[in-house]
Amino acid sequence: MQEAVYNSAIPDVNLNAVYRFCLFPRFLRIALLLCLLSVGLLMKVSAADWNAPEQNLARKIIAVTGPGAVAVIFENRSSLSQRDAEIVENGLRNALEALGLHFVNENQAAANVKISLSENPTSFVWIAQIQQSAGESAVLLVSTPRPEGSLAARDSIPLRLRKISLWKQSNRILDVALLEEGPTPSHMAVLDPESVSLYRLQSGKWQQEQALPIAHDRPWPRDLRGRLIPARDHLLDVYLPGVLCSTASSLPLSLNCHDSDDPWPLIPGTLNGEKLSVFPSAGLANGASTVVPQMKAFFAPTRNFFTGVLTPTLGKFATVPKFYSAALLPRDRYTLWFFAATAGQVHMIDGMSDRAVNWGWGSDLTSVKTACGAGWQVLAATAGDQNSDSIRAYEFPDRDPVAVSEEVSFPGAITALWTEARGDTAVAVVQGRETGTYEAFRLAMACDQ
Amino acid sequence: MKLFAWRWLAISSLLLAGAAGQPETRPQYGGTLRIMMQARLDSLNPAAATQADSFAERSIMRMVFDTLIILDDNGRPQPVLATSWQSAGKSQPWRFLLRNGVRFHDGTVLTAESAAASLRAANPNWEVTADGGSVVIQCDCPNLLSELALPRNSIIKNDSNERPTGTGPFRIVEWQTGAKLTLAANEDYWGGRPFLDLIEIEMGKSFRDQFTTLELGRADLVEVAPEQAHRLSLGDAHLVSSLPMELAALVFARDAQTDDEKSLRAALALSIDRGSMRSVLLQGAGQPAASLLPNWMSGYAFVFPAEPDLSLARRERSQVRTIPTWTLGYDANDSLERLLADRVALNAKDAGLSLQPTSASTADLRLTRIPLASADPWIALTEMSATVGLPVQNISSNSVEDLYSAERAELETQKIIPLFHLPMMYASSSALKNWTLRPDGSWNLADAWLENKPR
Repeated sequence: MQEAVYNSAIPDVNLNAVYRFCLFPRFLRIALLLCLLSVGLLMKVSAADWNAPEQNLARKIIAVTGPGAVAVIFENRSSLSQRDAEIVENGLRNALEALGLHFVNENQAAANVKISLSENPTSFVWIAQIQQSAGESAVLLVSTPRPEGSLAARDSIPLRLRKISLWKQSNRILDVALLEEGPTPSHMAVLDPESVSLYRLQSGKWQQEQALPIAHDRPWPRDLRGRLIPARDHLLDVYLPGVLCSTASSLPLSLNCHDSDDPWPLIPGTLNGEKLSVFPSAGLANGASTVVPQMKAFFAPTRNFFTGVLTPTLGKFATVPKFYSAALLPRDRYTLWFFAATAGQVHMIDGMSDRAVNWGWGSDLTSVKTACGAGWQVLAATAGDQNSDSIRAYEFPDRDPVAVSEEVSFPGAITALWTEARGDTAVAVVQGRETGTYEAFRLAMACDQ
Repeated sequence: MKLFAWRWLAISSLLLAGAAGQPETRPQYGGTLRIMMQARLDSLNPAAATQADSFAERSIMRMVFDTLIILDDNGRPQPVLATSWQSAGKSQPWRFLLRNGVRFHDGTVLTAESAAASLRAANPNWEVTADGGSVVIQCDCPNLLSELALPRNSIIKNDSNERPTGTGPFRIVEWQTGAKLTLAANEDYWGGRPFLDLIEIEMGKSFRDQFTTLELGRADLVEVAPEQAHRLSLGDAHLVSSLPMELAALVFARDAQTDDEKSLRAALALSIDRGSMRSVLLQGAGQPAASLLPNWMSGYAFVFPAEPDLSLARRERSQVRTIPTWTLGYDANDSLERLLADRVALNAKDAGLSLQPTSASTADLRLTRIPLASADPWIALTEMSATVGLPVQNISSNSVEDLYSAERAELETQKIIPLFHLPMMYASSSALKNWTLRPDGSWNLADAWLENKPR
């Protein structure tokens, strides 16, 4: 610790395994699988390499007992798995034997050695308590740093609402935008509190091309939120509380930020007929003919919610209650809006009436336009058990929600849920309960099931 | 994967009813958090030498003041007012680069000069200087980073009224010494304005009063005596337990002078039946301890046997011809201490010793509860040594082996007999969300929020 130097965490490069894997030719997929298996085996071997502390403890024990007959018992008091503990036990026995000890029953032994595998927050601590026949006792210790924890594997659950991991990093992720120039994404932008990082898909890996710092004078509010919005004549607009940033329209790419209370768009550009620079061929999502009028809302510059002031007005409503998120469903003659209000209820507003309801939803909702079901679904976050949140898709045959998907569970708390620019998918950001790391997922409706 | 036990403990929140299955909501801004505590703080200066360390004090200091760094759950230093730090090597000065744009609650800007002055005042033996935007520290302190994370090394500055002001997430609004403290959100906090608007803290409240107030809905966060936790009917409230961060121990007023005295102290240590005390008096709370540091912190505490050995105790006692009657002091306001003192005296009697419990301020030995200063074992051990009056061990390295040797040497002085490692326990209302305990047992309320109503 003495020589420690603090540096900012470097984001993990997360392979979007499912998505990019599917882009590979078959032989390459097999090769990649073999490669991954090899890496996995190597990691396993590396994780189980206890040789140095085993040798160290064995030498210490021999220094006390000398060569001869000893009785040894082992006890695992640590979080080591039974298998790892057995590996350590075997390694220690081998090391002790190599140094001249042989193992006998307690009543035949010149010394009894109790070896405990223990731990503290930073290290594994292995302890040998030695009782010799002369009544002498000794306590010997060695320690070895604990390896960094690995993420527990998660089971994938077959769902109609599918989640695909996009990106993972230790810093908070506010939003992720996949920038598609053709049918497949080739660029990705990741918004965190201090920068927009641009990645390019090369050889199946996201390689960082540029990190554009975000300039801001005031401290960010807690529970910071932000949005990446692909723009018409430049790459991206970045909406943050009290700050608006835009990428330069020419190279080299830079990010110009200024204090701003401009309202944030609530509707993806492609759904209201915009032609975006990053989607030259996209047009309306899924070839839909629906064009939804743009709606924007002002975001409180020092808080985590929208103030409730809308532009343009929503029918007769210029303001709605303060809200965290909004979703919409186009109807024949009007658009039905849902606002997750800070006071806890969902306000369903059609331009003429405001109905406050309590459906047990969380504070993050959004909507997607898909080719599935009724064509539009509202995605709403709910709390699962204490360790995971979940998202479920709903449709509204009338004025009450009908769940149209199973719940998709996430390994932590949902911190962001935004519709993507094309309008047919959404991005959810989750903070792992155990790891604290942030992971962004794309949510897509699988309508062929 | 098998979970690491202390991590489990750190997050052990017993959700007894109510909130399960509530929909997730974003943190909500606003509201007044009402806290009650038993301690009465007589100063809000984190460097005040007159005030005994307590978890309540740590919690309040960390709300009002910031340190340069803080230790995370794994004992690793994390940036607070310092954004980076480095040292050229052992015995070389450390350089801490300060965060830009931080202001004290009185509006003045945090500078390297003000930070250096604060650290110099708290540590007269350190050589602390300002160099541009950095603070440079030269000292003979092998665990400097962990020391800097202690609340007493908070960065403070006296305002125009000579009152200490900090840079923390909350600022002082009203302070009635030893009775009531009101804090308000620091709107310009560098880490983001806290969600709560106000925190009202009432001091000097008994555990019973605290819990009754919680039950009546007039408090949101109260302390719970570990030995009473199992009896509480919590309703919608949550019970949260820290790691064992407090040592209950017998501390002798003076060093053992003669071999007879050493034998009697050994006999006393061997006579104590911690297991039955834990079952009966602590109602299963805490961990019997014969070590100074808890096992989660050191990894080796179990090698110090905590089981009684009455025959060996009697043998030790039999080596002494004249048995004195020792007075055993306890805090009359602490019912647990009184019960434990009585039981220790009974155990001692079984070994042929004579102990007289007393609530008088002077005694031959005293039942004491010592908060561990830090989650860093070296800091915890050295601070405890200073508190109890044990010889401070030289630190040659930060290895577990040296830590064990140092702790063993302290125990061999026979000035202290550990009894239990106790957790801190709190009950909170169901409306209070996302509050956590730091590894040093202090509350983290900067991210806490109050739910207006169920969604």
